[in-house]
Amino acid sequence: MPAEPRFSAPARVADGTNGSAHAAVALTGVTKQFGKITALDAVSLFVRHGELMTLLGPSGCGKTTLLHLVAGFLIPESGEIAIDGQRITDVPAYRREIGIMFQNYALFPHMSVAGNVGYGLRMRRIARPEIDRRIADALALVKLAGLEERRPRQLSGGQQQRVALARALVIRPKVLLLDEPFSALDRNLRASMQVELKEIQRKLGVTTIFVTHDQSEALSLSDRIAVIADGRIRQLNTPHEVYRHPSDRFVASFIGDANVLRAHLERIEGAVASVALGAARVTVPMRTLEGSAVGSAVDLFVRPEDLRVAETDAAAAAHGTIAAQIYQGGHIDLYVDAPEVSSGRVLLRVPSHEAASLRPAGTRIAIALAADVAIAFRSA
Amino acid sequence: MARASVRSGRAAVRPFLRLFVAPAVLCALGFAAALAAVMQYSLRAYVPGSLEAGGFTLANFAALIRPLYARVFLDTVWICFLTASFTLIVGYPLAYALVHARNVALKSAILVIAVTPLFLGEVVRTYSWIVVLGNNGFLNSMLLKLGLVDAPMQFMFTEFGVITALVHVTLPVMVIMLAAALSHIDRDYERAAASLGAGPIRVFLTVTLPLSTPGIIAGVTTAFAWTFSAFATPQLIGGGRVNMVANLVYQLGFASFNFPFAASLSVAGLILTFAVLALMRAAASPLERIRQH
Ligand SMILES: Nc1ncnc2c1ncn2[C@@H]1O[C@H](COP(=O)(O)OP(=O)(O)O)[C@@H](O)[C@H]1O
Ligand SMILES: [Mg+2]
Repeated sequence: MPAEPRFSAPARVADGTNGSAHAAVALTGVTKQFGKITALDAVSLFVRHGELMTLLGPSGCGKTTLLHLVAGFLIPESGEIAIDGQRITDVPAYRREIGIMFQNYALFPHMSVAGNVGYGLRMRRIARPEIDRRIADALALVKLAGLEERRPRQLSGGQQQRVALARALVIRPKVLLLDEPFSALDRNLRASMQVELKEIQRKLGVTTIFVTHDQSEALSLSDRIAVIADGRIRQLNTPHEVYRHPSDRFVASFIGDANVLRAHLERIEGAVASVALGAARVTVPMRTLEGSAVGSAVDLFVRPEDLRVAETDAAAAAHGTIAAQIYQGGHIDLYVDAPEVSSGRVLLRVPSHEAASLRPAGTRIAIALAADVAIAFRSA
Repeated sequence: MARASVRSGRAAVRPFLRLFVAPAVLCALGFAAALAAVMQYSLRAYVPGSLEAGGFTLANFAALIRPLYARVFLDTVWICFLTASFTLIVGYPLAYALVHARNVALKSAILVIAVTPLFLGEVVRTYSWIVVLGNNGFLNSMLLKLGLVDAPMQFMFTEFGVITALVHVTLPVMVIMLAAALSHIDRDYERAAASLGAGPIRVFLTVTLPLSTPGIIAGVTTAFAWTFSAFATPQLIGGGRVNMVANLVYQLGFASFNFPFAASLSVAGLILTFAVLALMRAAASPLERIRQH
């Protein structure tokens, strides 16, 4: 899928054979097969210098495969991979200068923390005093100074993760690859590690490819997100653009919570259309509605925070019965049965301070649209 | 609550525990009884010309230190040591290839070569080695044809011949144990090492090999103990000129009918095996924590 023009400039440049010189990592038409399974299907991806690019997609969509191709653990059937403008498609992993952090960290159990972090430096035959200095710097960077002599198994999960990060960064890699690094951590630790990773990545300015299947993690960390499904990139853009302007139905439902509401196409005006939902009207782009005629049914995707409890019936998009009210601190999640627009429950996310006026479960309410722009797809 | 549910869960999961343990206990009792009988015999006096043993004595064990017998013990330990070492050297590459090969045909070939001999039995395998090692055997006719030797070389009835056959007999166990250890090494360790700049040889030396030491130790100790009790191979290929403990036990027990002395030899062999294995474990324990700093 092509990205929005605004964000796809480097990709356009890379159409030629040497255009990828502008990208830190460039994949051009890369295909990887395992027997009959096509794990990646003619994928092109251009990562800019210093950016944190997230590969987001469901399990089995090819994220790890893509990372392993960049790292050199796999060779593609076709296509080219370049780093800093140099073709490395068949350069072995140990000559690629890439730092990688594995999901289970893969710390060498028979080496100390210092032994692990210094491994890449020893392989480069760097002088001992410099190795020691760089190990100390790297451990200070990840806030683990003083644990040099510990064994990996004597560390907590969070500490092991930091060692793995230090080990990958100490070689000053051209690219840092992270494969679902936070999936094994508990929720609180995950959040603080995310912030820390982002800080370290900014500070060092290292080009980073981050793999996750967790859309909220992708939204909070990334400079840009590549949404992948079935071995293809569906959309590549900033978190905000991907969230607000998903390119297709898959992206719209995979990223963030979305209510799918039965509406109909009322008017087409060039590139945009007007969709009617009850008494409400909302503008949607026509690009996702190719071929739909005026009057036909469409699926309107509305974020929970774009729905409100209507004060009056005048602008009501739908009516429903409150099924459950879940207090989330800053906001309240309202689950509403509204059979006229959705077979499932409709989710409204309202700020807590507005909730005081709400009535308990079982009361009938009118739902209004809080946004005048949304996205719709042809009814499935 | 969680603990209570775990406990009740356990009781629920093992309702047949006693039923399953019963046969194991019976077997163990049988072994213990046999061992006790052998031990008991080893402490009895030999009455020449009689199958009945005499009174209790330590004379059998005192006789063990006679050079004739001590020599057989030393030879056995030496043969076991060499066999275990060569089996490791031959078995490691096979196990490595078995685990790492992508090619299915190569994998099956290695399995057939290294593991199926296990099902042939020691005697059959040893006979096949007689065919190979004999004066008119395969090896000698090759050497003669290639002009490397003028006259057939003596392989039968030599330590070389016995060890060669023993390595073959022991190889399947070694390959299975090493392959098990190697296949449990997460490939991400090797990938991590490669990404950090280690070429294939250094990945092997600094990561794969150290991480496979538990398998090496298990394989070598098993090969050692396995070889220590070897009987058919040294009997057939050694032909009385290369004697291991089991052959001596056989001669004394079934040629001289000196059951008490044969029993004390067996007990001594058992103790020696345990001693050597304990020694090997002790020597290997620093290896289990190879430091790389
Ligand atoms: N070594 C392999 N052999 C066979 N199939 C593989 C191998 N690695 C990955 N695959 C398949 O390729 C697809 C993509 O896998 P992967 O890249 O690991 O997905 P993800 O990391 O997004 O969960 C999956 O269908 C997976 O089963
Ligand atoms: Mg994966």
